[in-house]
Amino acid sequence: MPQNEYIEESIKRHGRRFDHDERKRKREARMVHKNSQFAQKVHGLKAKIHNKKRHSEKIQMKKTIKMHDEKSANQKTGDAVPEGAVPAYLLDREGQQRAKILSNMIKQKRKEKAGKWNVPLPKVRGIAEDETFRVIKTGKQKTKSWKRLVTKATFIGEGFTRKPPKYERFIRPMALRYKKANVTHPELKATFQLPIISVKKNPQSPMYTQLGVLTKGTIIEVNVSELGLVTTGGKVVWGKYAQITNNPENDGCINSVLLV
Amino acid sequence: MSQTLYNFKRIHPVPSSSDFVDIVLSRTQRKTPTVVHPGYSIGRIRQFYMRKVKYTQETFEEKLGLIIQDFPQLDNVHPFYSDLMNVLYDKDHYKLALGQINTAKHLITSTGKDLVRLLKFADSLYRCKMLKKAALGRMATIMKRQKDSLGYLEQVRMHLSRLPSIDTNTRTLLICGYPNVGKSSFMNKVTRADVDVQPYAFTTKSLFVGHMDYKYLRWQVIDTPGILDHELEERNTIEMQAITALAHLRACVLFFIDLSEQCGYSIEVQLSLFNSIKPLFGNRPTFLVMSKTDACQLEDLPEEMQAKIRHIEEVGDAKLTRLSSYMDTGVMETRNMACESLLQFRVDSKLKGSKIKDTLNRINLSVPAKRDSVERPAFIPPKALSKVKYDKEDPERPMLLRDVELMNGGAGVYSINLKKDYLLKNDEWKEDVIPEIIDGKNISDFIDPEIEHKLAMLEKEEEQFQAEGVYDHENGSEEVDEDEARIIKMAKSIRARKQVLAQESRLRNTTNRPKITTKMRASKHTVEDFEKRFKNVEISGNVSERAAGLLANSKRKRPTSIMNRDDKEEKAMEGNNSNTLFEQRSVSVVRDRSMTGLQNDSMYNVASKKKAKFQRKSNLLAKRGEADRQILTKMPKHLFSGKRKNGTNDYR
Repeated sequence: MPQNEYIEESIKRHGRRFDHDERKRKREARMVHKNSQFAQKVHGLKAKIHNKKRHSEKIQMKKTIKMHDEKSANQKTGDAVPEGAVPAYLLDREGQQRAKILSNMIKQKRKEKAGKWNVPLPKVRGIAEDETFRVIKTGKQKTKSWKRLVTKATFIGEGFTRKPPKYERFIRPMALRYKKANVTHPELKATFQLPIISVKKNPQSPMYTQLGVLTKGTIIEVNVSELGLVTTGGKVVWGKYAQITNNPENDGCINSVLLV
Repeated sequence: MSQTLYNFKRIHPVPSSSDFVDIVLSRTQRKTPTVVHPGYSIGRIRQFYMRKVKYTQETFEEKLGLIIQDFPQLDNVHPFYSDLMNVLYDKDHYKLALGQINTAKHLITSTGKDLVRLLKFADSLYRCKMLKKAALGRMATIMKRQKDSLGYLEQVRMHLSRLPSIDTNTRTLLICGYPNVGKSSFMNKVTRADVDVQPYAFTTKSLFVGHMDYKYLRWQVIDTPGILDHELEERNTIEMQAITALAHLRACVLFFIDLSEQCGYSIEVQLSLFNSIKPLFGNRPTFLVMSKTDACQLEDLPEEMQAKIRHIEEVGDAKLTRLSSYMDTGVMETRNMACESLLQFRVDSKLKGSKIKDTLNRINLSVPAKRDSVERPAFIPPKALSKVKYDKEDPERPMLLRDVELMNGGAGVYSINLKKDYLLKNDEWKEDVIPEIIDGKNISDFIDPEIEHKLAMLEKEEEQFQAEGVYDHENGSEEVDEDEARIIKMAKSIRARKQVLAQESRLRNTTNRPKITTKMRASKHTVEDFEKRFKNVEISGNVSERAAGLLANSKRKRPTSIMNRDDKEEKAMEGNNSNTLFEQRSVSVVRDRSMTGLQNDSMYNVASKKKAKFQRKSNLLAKRGEADRQILTKMPKHLFSGKRKNGTNDYR
């Protein structure tokens, strides 16, 4: 009865078969051809998967090759610059290792220039009302059609209470209500899941804003107290605006970019 | 005692996270419908995608559930295994990995549920598709995060499956000691386990199990890696395996000690290890085995060392034995001693336990008090006492049939006489051809002793009859009177007719021709047939013509029932037995079904009485019977729905 590391044990005792290395080498050499055969033959979904895998492998391969290349390439350092006064035509860029770094000041200025109310998504596709609202027929004969069901994601504040059905024109279904959004901080390049405080503006129409409909391009207010952002005055910021960058009703989540 | 044998080999392989996703997604692709069109009703489209999401979720759950179920829970296995796994795989890590898998399972469940809920509000194929994509993507992401725990669990599984299957309850010898003192050599001597033996320390890196037989019982021998003498905290994984086995297995402990110090450790160090792990032995039978006696004996040691070793035995910590695996001396003795003491120990501990009472209560060993001082030994016949025990080598031994056979040339040449020793009433019967006796009789018991005589008598009588001429008369007489002749002729014709009928009927019953119904056949009868048939029968021609006329009429109209038949006809047929003519004909007469299945009037009376009694109650209560008219659905939906007026359409 074999126990524990029996394969290693066996190799230790009896060695491998004589042509083991040869076989291994051949198998490896054959592998390339086999892969290529497969790649030529495969089609459909499998081809898609295979190509994607191959693509990423190639990228990885190229990256590693590049890395190795860089190692061997001459690195220009500050030492290369000859000391003392040098005529202008001899002024070389050899000593410089990095491209020009923009100072923070310049960055700030550029941003201000770009306009205070510039947002990541300045334009959005218009959404017709009949896409957002599904008509619900009421009445005994189902002839009345004054009621609407909102089929987009919505945000509903905490204090909301439903009106009696007779007066409720818009139904916002529970399944499509969202309380949290994934917010990306563009400078930190980090994403956080933060609670939504309110809907500031939906570019589609003020009614959507009122209803709290969340569509692509909507500006929402999120609770950033978790991030620990501080104002210049030293106060902790807790509400900040963010713009929705995806179609929540298609993805089942809300992705947004913090407006800083 | 509950015998739980763990089978860690049965755990299913754990795929890597990317494989996991591939397996599940391709399964979804294979097992769910793949064709959908935007033209389908939105309900159908939604259902199509919901099914995909649900199926993926369920497959993930099933696969993850299998992993959680397969891997043993450390709290549920025997403490030995639980500790061993802790040593080998780290309990915290193990639990964490399984916990993460469990969390992933729950996350996938909730993701699936959420997205299915969203799908219910999707209003286009595109939106449905996007939501499905989101669902599968999220599930795949959750699985991708489990990369490390899945990899770890796969490693654990592979190692677990290679662990020797140690039965924690059976009779076990446990071999322990410093490295390189000859533990594995002893193991190889005693069992068939092929443990690697090398002249360096820590050759054995994990537990090994071998099996052997002693006293017709199965024994388990466990070889442990060597242990060094230091703190428990400092021990490494290899040593800890040995410690785990020492701590949890109810076994006989064989502590090996190398007196020759060839192992590279002094006797003092080895003894101090013995003393430091002594608490682990508990009160299990323990042996201090001095190995490699071919190199160094106990007596060769300096006095004080000898005293130290002997002291251990005197205190009662362990018994001393010595062996040399190289010379093969003392190995079996040591083994036997160890086995014996463990057997004794096990019996003792069983007797101490509470479970034994259940069995002991049922056993009653009666020891009768002595009545008097008279000795009553068992009676042995003097002949039996004087009998010499059979010995093969003894030339004076009694001759066996086997010996006789051998003497005369062996099997195949000489066949021994098995009948010689038969115990029969008469010794002459021994060699009989039919000696078999059934129920105390054999064939001769069934032979009439006077049969010869009876035959002779019969023959004599026969001769006498012949002489008297009794048989002559029968051959010669031809005088038959007319009556008899007619009867004989009649009988002959009847027989011939019967034969013909039988043949006809046989022909009729063969099915190799088109079937003709009874009615058709009746209509096919012609007057000629009729006359031909009755030609030979002695009926007056008048009647036969009349009957033929009737037959001809029947082609045109159905004959009325027998009751309404004309009186004339009745009279005409009186006296003749031609009623059968009408009965042969197939006429649909309404039968009274109340009489079917009832053989006679008395049966009918009984049945009708029963029927009346049975019906009385429901008749009294005016209940619905089976003969009543029923309307199952008063207004069949398909006939009354719609706005069209009644009578405007046949079918709605």
